[in-house]
Amino acid sequence: MPVLERLLQRRLIVVTGKGGVGKSAMTSVLGRSLARRGRRALVLEVDPRENLHQMLGVAPSGGAIVEVEPNFYLQNLKPRHVVDWVVEKQVRIKMIAKRVMRSPIYHRFVEGAPGLTEIAILGHALRLARGELSGTPDIDVVVLDAPATGHGVYLLTAPRLFAEAIGDGPFAQLAGEVADYVADPVASGVVVVTQAEEMPVQEALELRRALAERFGREPELLIANGLYPPAPEGDGEDELTALWRRRYQLNASQLERLDRQWAGPRIDLPLLPIDGGAELVAALGDRFDSALTNLEEA
Amino acid sequence: MDLGSRLTVVVGSGGVGKTTLAAALGLRSAAAGVNTLVMTFDPSRRLKDALGIGNAEGNAELAVSGTGGCLHASLLDARATFDDLVARYAEDDETRRRILGNSYYRHLAGHLGGILEYMAVERLFEVASSGRYDRIILDTPPTTQAIDFLEAPTRIVDFLDSGALKIALAPWFDAEGGLRATSRLGFVGRGLEQFLDRVVGMQLLRDMSEFFRAFGPLFGGFRDRASETESLLAGEETRFVLVTGAGEARIPDTLFFARKLEEAGYRLGPVVVNRVHPNVAGSVSGDKNSAGQRLFRWLGDRDQRGLVALRELLKSEQSLVAMPLAGDEPTDLGSLDALGQELERRWVDEALRSS
Repeated sequence: MPVLERLLQRRLIVVTGKGGVGKSAMTSVLGRSLARRGRRALVLEVDPRENLHQMLGVAPSGGAIVEVEPNFYLQNLKPRHVVDWVVEKQVRIKMIAKRVMRSPIYHRFVEGAPGLTEIAILGHALRLARGELSGTPDIDVVVLDAPATGHGVYLLTAPRLFAEAIGDGPFAQLAGEVADYVADPVASGVVVVTQAEEMPVQEALELRRALAERFGREPELLIANGLYPPAPEGDGEDELTALWRRRYQLNASQLERLDRQWAGPRIDLPLLPIDGGAELVAALGDRFDSALTNLEEA
Repeated sequence: MDLGSRLTVVVGSGGVGKTTLAAALGLRSAAAGVNTLVMTFDPSRRLKDALGIGNAEGNAELAVSGTGGCLHASLLDARATFDDLVARYAEDDETRRRILGNSYYRHLAGHLGGILEYMAVERLFEVASSGRYDRIILDTPPTTQAIDFLEAPTRIVDFLDSGALKIALAPWFDAEGGLRATSRLGFVGRGLEQFLDRVVGMQLLRDMSEFFRAFGPLFGGFRDRASETESLLAGEETRFVLVTGAGEARIPDTLFFARKLEEAGYRLGPVVVNRVHPNVAGSVSGDKNSAGQRLFRWLGDRDQRGLVALRELLKSEQSLVAMPLAGDEPTDLGSLDALGQELERRWVDEALRSS
């Protein structure tokens, strides 16, 4: 099945990659592209220091769902709120629930308990896509800008670990549901963003291996971002041209490395003379869209 | 260069080139005859090969050849440090087996908030107090905000003092593994019990409780070392080097970081803006209107604007060092040393300017 068709089927797409490769811009680009192809898409950000709204040229979310354009939404999520929601549901006496949530022990637990944040993030995405949250617009697909901490694969494996290590209770149940969802190759997918440099490529390849080992699947798509243009040939050797040529060659050799190790679909995007923000997302978005259409035809 | 410090901590967001610069600083320090250790996380294959530590395992300190025995490098392995701690502090074999076999420890303890960062600090403290080195250069782990790393010791102490540990260590279970009546916790306590029982789930509670009980003796040591490490980081002989990327978009992060370090009472050495594109006005051959030439002019301008803006926003006495984008990442000791010399030269120039 062509990449585009697969992406249009997914209910959850996790965008991951090493810090600093342009993951947020690519999350925006992918969400925009899917929305313009008729999917009701929501891009979900978890970083408490909001950033995605600038990429999309809208007001900060502050936790609320913000409409970017028709069928295209943005939300900044505080995982704490999701955990609070589970507590409120389980501890039915409101006053006691409030007291629990104010207690420092609870705070430590929510911040420190391993796997809980990941379950909260994915659980929220799951409920959004299933229409289980009241007062939210209908959403077909959630595109998640995965936190850059460590290897993105922990986000995906934590629910299973948690469910297996814990066994009972509402969080374990949610963890189990989320784990099934993440393992379902039709419902969810992973898009890996990289730059054609050694460390980001290293991390992209490690992520791919981890996905194969833990889930028996491949990323839907790999995006190589921020590529230098080809340097002019034989035009003398001023310093800049030499630097330009070396950076271009470095990109080329890392793209070759990707080619050798992964035959799956890849979209290459150039480094553009545009500061971040909506203008950059629009320019990269147009290139991404036509590349995606061409991948479909290939 | 202000390498007079006994501990240099290299901080900054992921992907800015911290690890390479830390290694370059290490080489220069060793070249001056100072017995130096570079502690690093997750270096690239090429950097590991350049340092000759390609096959290093679990915290080993390996001599970097060609440095006359003056430079050692060590890859931080948080999991190995954690396991070592268990082995070292467990009261007996039975306790050790119980912790290492505990399902909470095996699957999740490695992800306990801040624990890996804490383990790095633990390891730093161990090396620093061993007296094996005259200088340590510490590359910090790739967290979203590397400040997390520095706050880890304080967070652990807060955790110990918050009462969470007391709750976790309370005799929750009777001999049959059932939950004991704990009405003495009072009104809030009953809410918490409901929370723990219905929301967290009993199995997790049982595992966590066992884990923390087995870990009890370790925690006292954690607290002592956490405050000693804090004094080490805030000490006279420690300098922070803040590495950041070029361009205006990075400035808010850089300022945030610098302010956090200052608030925490740490001594900030230079802010290093890494991989600055050259200023190319008029210096290029070929078609000046090609897309590539326009891109490079724009990149040069962007990075220049970023530097100017950052200079204005930082305190005037704060030194700011710009490192140019190189054609290649260093692949051997020679090119790594050249990078170190370049950094040293620019650092000295800047020190002269700001004094």
